[in-house]
Amino acid sequence: MFKKIIIRIFALVIIIAGLNLIYNFTFYKKDLEEKCEQVVELRKKQPDTDIFYFAESSNFNVREDDSIKQSISEITNFFYPSLKITAINKPATHGGIYRHWLTHIDLTENKPKAVIITLNLRSFDANWIHSKLETPLQESVVLLKPYPKLLNRFLLSLNAFDNKTEQQRERDMIKEWETTQLEFPFPFKYKTVTEWDYHMAQGTYTKPDGSWDAEKITLACHYVKTYAFNIKENNPRVKDFDFMADWCHKNNVNLYFNLLAENLQYADSLVGKELVFLMKQNRDFLVNRYNKNNCKVIDNLEAVPGKEYTDQNWTTEHYSYKGRMAIAKNLANGLRTQFNNYYKAAY
Amino acid sequence: MVFVPKYILILFAIILIDYLAALTIEQLKGRLRLFYLVVSLIANIGMLAFFKYFNFANENLVTVFSWFGKEFHPVNLDIILPIGLSFHTFQSMSYTIEVYRGRQKAERHLGYFANYVLFFPQMVAGPIERYETLGNELREEHKPKYENFSDGFKLILFGLFIKMAVADNIAPFVNQVYSDPMKYNSLQVLGAVFLFSFQIYADFFGYSTIALGSARMLDIKIMDNFNTPYLSKSITEFWTRWHISLSTWFRDYLYIPLGGNRVTLPRWSINILIVFMVSGLWHGASWTFVVWGALHGLMILTERYTSKILKFKIREGWNVVNVLLTIKTFIVASFIWIFFRAEDFPKAKLIIKAMVKNWKIEKTDVPYLYAFVFSIVLIVIDIFLYNSRFDKRIGVTKIPVRWAVYAVLIFCLMALSGTQKFTFIYFQF
Repeated sequence: MFKKIIIRIFALVIIIAGLNLIYNFTFYKKDLEEKCEQVVELRKKQPDTDIFYFAESSNFNVREDDSIKQSISEITNFFYPSLKITAINKPATHGGIYRHWLTHIDLTENKPKAVIITLNLRSFDANWIHSKLETPLQESVVLLKPYPKLLNRFLLSLNAFDNKTEQQRERDMIKEWETTQLEFPFPFKYKTVTEWDYHMAQGTYTKPDGSWDAEKITLACHYVKTYAFNIKENNPRVKDFDFMADWCHKNNVNLYFNLLAENLQYADSLVGKELVFLMKQNRDFLVNRYNKNNCKVIDNLEAVPGKEYTDQNWTTEHYSYKGRMAIAKNLANGLRTQFNNYYKAAY
Repeated sequence: MVFVPKYILILFAIILIDYLAALTIEQLKGRLRLFYLVVSLIANIGMLAFFKYFNFANENLVTVFSWFGKEFHPVNLDIILPIGLSFHTFQSMSYTIEVYRGRQKAERHLGYFANYVLFFPQMVAGPIERYETLGNELREEHKPKYENFSDGFKLILFGLFIKMAVADNIAPFVNQVYSDPMKYNSLQVLGAVFLFSFQIYADFFGYSTIALGSARMLDIKIMDNFNTPYLSKSITEFWTRWHISLSTWFRDYLYIPLGGNRVTLPRWSINILIVFMVSGLWHGASWTFVVWGALHGLMILTERYTSKILKFKIREGWNVVNVLLTIKTFIVASFIWIFFRAEDFPKAKLIIKAMVKNWKIEKTDVPYLYAFVFSIVLIVIDIFLYNSRFDKRIGVTKIPVRWAVYAVLIFCLMALSGTQKFTFIYFQF
């Protein structure tokens, strides 16, 4: 009986291997276009690309009254007119997604001279890690996983990926806020995000008539929930960025992490210096960790003043033209170590 | 419908009550036997009523009170229907009834009885097995056999294909149109109505086949729940081929006790309507399901009366008339499914309205290609499997053909299955 079964299993494996080839030549591309158009775009544009720029909405989001609508990557490209910087964007994307895009760069032909990846501080927090947008994002990379393509497609059908419901994700987020201890090198009265958030919600801001300023309180609470965390080695995003740094080092691809600006001014005025301390401490962690080998961190954390943020009542990395320009300039300067010969002062 | 770990206690309660009731019934004589049967039935039906029909009953009471100008403020319970409750209560009830009727010996071993109720391949969505078959099978000694693995694998592969490639590729089309029917052209709405017939069949047939295959691998034979239902020439025949385990359950424990067909024609008509309306209600706590059941009952009555008046009898075999009758049956069943699929009467009305009135509006984009292709595939499969089953039919073909079929099924399953998450439709019952 066992001999019969083993022979049939062997036959099945051969059949599946053959079917994998058929899938690769028939439906794979269509599936990829449907689920992960960014990789299709990446492959299509690679022959004409010198530098790839992976980003979320920070790259292309503009303010309504901006007279110049260029994205950060396009403005950066002005400084290097003889190079082609190609942006691959997707809203809400983070390191866990970029790592899959990165490994789909063809290293045998038309290898890019460098890859720039946005390093978004918020993507390390519980708010983003457990965001409801995570399920579609994870779905979009199933076909890119390092398994046979047919198996990936089957995993997609089985919904075999990080496919939690919105409620589950919210529960995880709240649990993290409740249980993760905040660490400061100085005494601080709130031990967790929940405690801090609770305090902020207790009428911290009042209107001239004495009533609570709900709008301001909500925003202050949101700042706490967004930025009050200590990045540690076990953070899933750290693992993703570690992977990308190692991959680029191993494959001799120059990598730039473009650390995005955050609204430190508002964080300070709404919540206080403790929150700003955490933000800067997290920035230092990332800069120290990734500024090595052929990887460089472009630090823009404090590059954009508070009023240049598009969303004044929320925490986003959406900037006005001046904000995008400030980041692009910083980035262009950072690229000079490798591309000084191509650099041209554009502004 | 959801899996909540503490709900396992409900299962244990059902098992314990029916186990003890059956033992007691067997030992007693006279009217006390009936008393314990009633206790067992009340416990089972009560459990079902509490979880499934409590809020529905409240809603109806509010309406009834409002007819008389009175207000009724019910206490609605925030409860979730335990997964598969309707199936295992019916399975368990059939056992105590059979013991009461003296056709089945009471099981002395609690473990065997618990295994009968909890047998995993069919616990959640049937087939609703009888103790006479499944219970006794579970008592026998089973050894691993190659044939069981082989047949089980074939059935599971085929079941997965039917569910994941066929049903899950049809579902997006149907769901999209049903979510906002007035947006779609009449032809598309009509398409969705017919496609839902295929979707629900593939969804449930796929599950039942996987259950059959899983049991088969353990050397346990469970009953076929489907036998190419859309190749029925009448609705009467349809119900001998669709969800067979439920139809036979209602036949044995409701239709026959009501008098079956050994009563006058008017009484028989009422019996048929009662059975089908209860069957509709079994599916879900909503009047749409009751209407769905009632329409099937009415169709069966119509068929009986017209054949009597016209002295028409369907002949065996396939000819032009029978093909036309089969198409007619499919169309009728499809239209009746509208009440099953629509969440409420206004939605059902909207579907019918869109089907009739939207001929002139432009077609909206819907994912139709795979839905239609796999529906046609399902028809071809049904013709191929007419009065048979996949493992039996494929088992007699030549090896190259058989393996080529496996390869095609595996490819469709792995490369072309739907990618959205659709749980089995019958899990909600």
